Amino acid sequence: MVAGGLTLAFIVFWLAGHPGFRDERVVMFFAITIMSGTLIYFIRLALRGEEFHLRSIPGLKAVEEAVGRSTEMGKPVLYVPGIMDMDQVETVAGVIILGHVAKMTARYETSLNVPVSRSIVMKAGREIVRESYTMEGRPDLFQDDMVHYLTDDQFAYAAGVNGIMVREKPAACLYMGKFYAESLILAETGNSIGAIQIAGTASQAQIPFFVTACDYTLIGEEFFAASAYLSQKPELLGGLKGQDILKAFVTAAILLSLFLRVFSDLGWIGWNVIDFLTVQ
Amino acid sequence: MLWKRQIPILIATVVGLLTLFGWFIDNPGIESFVNDDATQWFDILASFAIFLGALNLMKLQGRKVVKQQSGWQYSLFAIGGFIFAIVAGFIYKGNDAVAWGVHVTSKGTLFKWMFDYIFTPLSATMFALLAFFVASAAYRAFRVRNLEATLLLVSGIIIMVGRVPLGSSISSWFIMYLLVVVASIAANIILQDKIITFGVLLGGAVIVTVWGSLAGWPVDQPGIFYLPILQDWIYNNPNVAGARAIMIGIGLGIFATSIRYILGVEKSYIGE
Repeated sequence: MVAGGLTLAFIVFWLAGHPGFRDERVVMFFAITIMSGTLIYFIRLALRGEEFHLRSIPGLKAVEEAVGRSTEMGKPVLYVPGIMDMDQVETVAGVIILGHVAKMTARYETSLNVPVSRSIVMKAGREIVRESYTMEGRPDLFQDDMVHYLTDDQFAYAAGVNGIMVREKPAACLYMGKFYAESLILAETGNSIGAIQIAGTASQAQIPFFVTACDYTLIGEEFFAASAYLSQKPELLGGLKGQDILKAFVTAAILLSLFLRVFSDLGWIGWNVIDFLTVQ
Repeated sequence: MLWKRQIPILIATVVGLLTLFGWFIDNPGIESFVNDDATQWFDILASFAIFLGALNLMKLQGRKVVKQQSGWQYSLFAIGGFIFAIVAGFIYKGNDAVAWGVHVTSKGTLFKWMFDYIFTPLSATMFALLAFFVASAAYRAFRVRNLEATLLLVSGIIIMVGRVPLGSSISSWFIMYLLVVVASIAANIILQDKIITFGVLLGGAVIVTVWGSLAGWPVDQPGIFYLPILQDWIYNNPNVAGARAIMIGIGLGIFATSIRYILGVEKSYIGE
């Protein structure tokens, strides 16, 4: 009903001359609206009790295994939430996953070390870790300094984290966030100390480095699915299902565009789909 | 609860929707807010927050020194470096001819000296370590363990050799002879029959030799076996296809995650 009302309002607005609307971006507007609508539909479906099948992601299953290994060895878990600030969606995703990891460390009474490179990430990280420890009934185990600041500088941060790795020899190193050239420096040092390593990032250029040096890597969308997967909250799982449906839409759109482009090149149709789809 | 949950979610929703749909609205005020003001607000907040980080760093390092915890000597360097940077940045310029503010980038000042002769070499050292880490990571990745690792090794070799001057000197006919040898080895491993292996080797060698003699042995023909062309194809086709598939997944993931934050479905970042 809401969707119908909004569509009607948009039609009226469009027929009234759509003042202030950028005509050249209307394709993108519809794409975003349809994608948002699909996500909202599946989230609502999940909230109504619909169950969705989730494919298993080995990297996420391994998180609990890594914390368990640290517990057995009596060594800390090192969690690196990337080197960027909270204005990056990957950092926010990394901090949310930190909350789930903190619940596990609280449950297993394992020490957690989270060096960060941005002060706001430190504050957000502390809050989320504190809450996780409280929710697990172990507020006594939480210390502010679990999440501590090192430096804003990229390579100084890498040097600091490497120092922690070499001195404390954590049994598990988790890298979840936005990374640049320091990714391989961190992951190779973690590898050299024999830690079980799990990485998750949407930084495309760093994925090969993590795949090479880590035991498990959450690639792109798997990283963003981690929060839903670990929390098993229906509204988040619904969003994941919606994401999968969107992927099918995008694949279909790519194939359709391919055929339309071929038809256009062959002169069968006088309309170029690329001009239509190109963002203005 | 209202201040800690509902109001932050409301702010995230309003600013998120404004940023998302502001892109479609032809209004200089909204455009300026989305492109400049919002990011400047964040920068200002982050600048204030740096004090929290600096205090936390000093607290932890100071405690290590006072309690003489393991590795406390390193903390002395951290504290010393911090104090030195504060002095060079706010107290002592080292060159009276330069005004405060520009002294951080002007020659002859203590801050610039620290930047050029301590900070930059140390950063460069860390960055240079990457070369060794890339070598060790490549060694591990290229070890032949299974089909995927073998494909990685072969495509890695083709790209590396194809991109250096030596690669353009290697004739495509030489590569074809190599392929004949590889095919005969594969035939021997799979079929374990000496006659078939010899047949593949001899037949392949004869075909390549006859073909080469008829074509006049051009170095870069057939192009599919010429390393510079082959590496270009691998780099621009299978590689780009895979990278774009990952990019689409990342894009959808970012979009879905952002929508979850904007709609307040994902609230973990402000607490459960």
